[in-house]
Amino acid sequence: MNKRFGLVIDQERCIGCEACTVACKIENNSIGHWIQVETQKVPQKDTPSGQYPDLKLEWLPRLCNHCANPPCVDACPNEALVKREDGPVIYDQEKCDGCQVCVGACPYNVILYIQEKNTIEKCNLCVHRIDKGLEPFCVICCEGQAIYFGDLNDPNSVVSQKIASREAFQLKPEAGTNPSVYYCPPKPRRRL
Amino acid sequence: MKETNEIKLVRTACPAHCGIDACGILAHVKGDRIIKLEPAEFPNKVDRRICLRGLSSLDITYHPDRLKYPMKRIGERGEGKFERISWDEAYEIIAEKFKEISDKYGWRSIGWVLGGPGAGTTKFGAYLRIASLTQSTRVSAWGYGDAGLPCGSRVIFGSQFPYMYLFGKFWQRNWPELLVVWGANPGESMPLQTMRKIMDAKENGTQIVVIDTRFTVTASKADEFLGLKPGTDSALALGLMNVIFQNELHNIEFIREHTNGPYLVRSDNGKILRGKDIGDKKADSYIIWEESSNSPKPVRRKNLQSASITGTYNVNGIECKPVFQLLKDLTQQYPPEKAAEITGVEANLIIKLAKKLGNTKNVTFFTYMGFTRTCHGDISLRGLCSVASVTGHVATSFSSGYLPAVLNWDPFLKAVPDRPSFHRLGILNLYEAVISGKPYPIKALWFAFINFLNQCVDCNKIIKEFYPKLEFIVQTELFMTPSARYADLLLPVCSFLEFSDFVSHPYPYVQLQQKVIEPLYESKSDVNIVAGLAEKLGYGDYFKGGEEAMIDMITDHSSLEGYNRETLGKGAMLLRALPEGGNFPLNFRTPSRKIELYAEQLVEDGQELPVYLPPIEAPITPGEKKYPLTFIQGHSRFRTHSMFSNVKSLLELNPEPIVEINSIDAKARNISDNDMVTVFNDRARTTLKARISDSVGPGVVNITEGWWIEQFKEGSVNHLTHDIINPVQNKIYEPNMHMNDVAVDIMKYKEGGK
Ligand code: SF4
Ligand code: SF4
Ligand code: SF4
Ligand code: SF4
Repeated sequence: MNKRFGLVIDQERCIGCEACTVACKIENNSIGHWIQVETQKVPQKDTPSGQYPDLKLEWLPRLCNHCANPPCVDACPNEALVKREDGPVIYDQEKCDGCQVCVGACPYNVILYIQEKNTIEKCNLCVHRIDKGLEPFCVICCEGQAIYFGDLNDPNSVVSQKIASREAFQLKPEAGTNPSVYYCPPKPRRRL
Repeated sequence: MKETNEIKLVRTACPAHCGIDACGILAHVKGDRIIKLEPAEFPNKVDRRICLRGLSSLDITYHPDRLKYPMKRIGERGEGKFERISWDEAYEIIAEKFKEISDKYGWRSIGWVLGGPGAGTTKFGAYLRIASLTQSTRVSAWGYGDAGLPCGSRVIFGSQFPYMYLFGKFWQRNWPELLVVWGANPGESMPLQTMRKIMDAKENGTQIVVIDTRFTVTASKADEFLGLKPGTDSALALGLMNVIFQNELHNIEFIREHTNGPYLVRSDNGKILRGKDIGDKKADSYIIWEESSNSPKPVRRKNLQSASITGTYNVNGIECKPVFQLLKDLTQQYPPEKAAEITGVEANLIIKLAKKLGNTKNVTFFTYMGFTRTCHGDISLRGLCSVASVTGHVATSFSSGYLPAVLNWDPFLKAVPDRPSFHRLGILNLYEAVISGKPYPIKALWFAFINFLNQCVDCNKIIKEFYPKLEFIVQTELFMTPSARYADLLLPVCSFLEFSDFVSHPYPYVQLQQKVIEPLYESKSDVNIVAGLAEKLGYGDYFKGGEEAMIDMITDHSSLEGYNRETLGKGAMLLRALPEGGNFPLNFRTPSRKIELYAEQLVEDGQELPVYLPPIEAPITPGEKKYPLTFIQGHSRFRTHSMFSNVKSLLELNPEPIVEINSIDAKARNISDNDMVTVFNDRARTTLKARISDSVGPGVVNITEGWWIEQFKEGSVNHLTHDIINPVQNKIYEPNMHMNDVAVDIMKYKEGGK
């Protein structure tokens, strides 16, 4: 069986620090932020929901889901987006003409259109690293050790184990894209 | 630049002032340029770490605004107008000025204001050494926020810090059943060394309780959050002990064995009863009431466990009570309802937590400096430590794991062993020394790794009363910071990638901060700057060999045998493991060698017990004071104090200062999210954007510290703060700045408004 590389992000461990955001930008020398940390349920970043002192603060780092059925790839008229056999959905800057059809096709709003280059940017799962047997840069820089990388097709991989042992979920399953990025929800509080 | 494709890897360490995290960094160097930083390996793989600031360090090293050469002021102080000079001219000017001033006022009128060196050691040591040689004044920076905790810890545990007694074992990954994080936010200030472990512990089943005035990142991971009003921590501690004692949940054996709880105290004068008071030949011996013989006895190892810890006794006509009884009497005034009223924490939660503390075998308390930055923060810490002590949750942290390094500071503290060394002034005492010449006048200051004006209390006072009294100001800096503008001489210093230092963190490791590239422009390391000046002052011999020689001075110590520049150059090294079965007994360097629940030296101050004293300025009850809101300064993950405030990659994510205000307070003032608002008190007006956020409770506003003055529309955090000295802290150690004990109000911003 082919490999299917993916990520599991554990919200229980994510501290919303944005080290992943900074790390990714440095590693990929990008203009946009390919992984963005969303504070859930509130309009303003790092602001808790609820009323003092009964509050909640949870983060959801969002990036390309490297969908098993990626509508962006189908939509791109220039074959600038490609789904690799081992999972990553990558883009080719040279082929992209900035038409932005993919931006509308992606249900997750994670393709960034970069005006100054007239091309898109998005997470490519650090293929330049994984091809050398290294983990993605955001994974090794994650402050909370909240991001796990591995082969979703291997039941023994750390990602498969996390998915099996926690109530892991994918974003917008109804879109039928079958994301390769899974999330583990925060655990319920054990009150005193 | 040399053309090459070869990439050289250099392992170094980030000494940013977070200090404790001290990430190992692997620098990728191409030619003479660093192209990338990544987290370096540690002997234990899980300790590999980096934070968003460490990642952004190249933005500091290669920042276009770096100071590039020595400069002399040509405009008014504060104007920021300078002209380039050579290093030699700079040294000449300093040597001449120092001579002139020392001839007139003595060398002690020249002070070295050293900020937090972070995890660095020799850059700090070099200044101490020159201060020691010249017998000038070392201005201690503990007082800029970090003296309250040592004051409290010195009293109750007899140590500068309480950490090894409270959570050393936790740092060694011994997960407790219950972890109480009190007044600290490691989620932002210590994400790697501590927050990760908190989450590891939680995954292993530890229940997490966070006590704080803010719903922080750390609080977001808590099973239970106790939100309390700033500065009321000791009332909470007393409330918890009230419930613990009512329910007999205290650990009597531990109290007898390790605290001064059983020692008898005279009711007439509050002094601890001694042998001489009862005619015992051991005149200084402490006296207990022995239950078996029903009589007073000098304390001995073998009679400790039959010591009474409660009751009132008549000893030769003197009425006495054991320390523990006095503590118990005090807590009786704080039933949960009363503690709830003061602290704002629900009585029900106080009861639940107290019971849990008393009924759980393995509890760890984690804390840091933040909650001690109120006027009586030292007592807050004593309150916390008292709760931990009466329930027996104080441990010999190094009874397993690794011995801490004993750093050899002697060559710096006393450069010439049998000559007097430097004078010492606390940074808050410095204000008076400069402004009124008490206890002695200070006429010249050298600031190193400190953004004094930005980070110390009462900016207007500094600008209007402090700076004008100084005849000469030198500052070493990377950037034209708000403080640098007031220097007479400005010396460009290296970023951490351009010099070597010894880094004694993170526990249980030591590391070498290895120079990765040559200093950029004309910058120099602090060590080499001091060495250059020493040459001019005739002390050149003491600094021969520069950074390397200084590092060797530190590692040349029996506790660091085998740890040297060569071995450390290869990577972080684990501290020496304790021999198998080795055990560190619980001992304390207090006068009684016990945990001092009762501090005899504070009887005349009325602080012998961890009493609750309200904040000095912060309003606890509405309507009580002129300004109704408490202003606190949390720490931000985007900065270490005022470092990284000018870094583009971080400003992209966090562009400007905001004040967090509770929804109720905002509504009462008709303030909406993103409105420009003015935070004000009698000292100043600070204008910035409002963020309506229930991360603070009603009555509290928060602006994270570290933003530079020019990043505000007007004012800044420390325009609002005060320089009130707590005399008891002054007596114990040195006074702390009470940045979280400040009263303000807030209103919508009006152009030119008053
Ligand atoms: S998340 Fe969007 S960009 Fe990424 S593969 Fe799926 S559809 Fe394409
Ligand atoms: S913007 Fe680029 S990648 Fe996206 S659809 Fe158009 S050509 Fe393809
Ligand atoms: S996998 Fe690589 S490209 Fe994708 S978000 Fe992480 S660091 Fe960025
Ligand atoms: S680096 Fe890790 S902990 Fe920090 S925001 Fe990203 S995923 Fe969360």
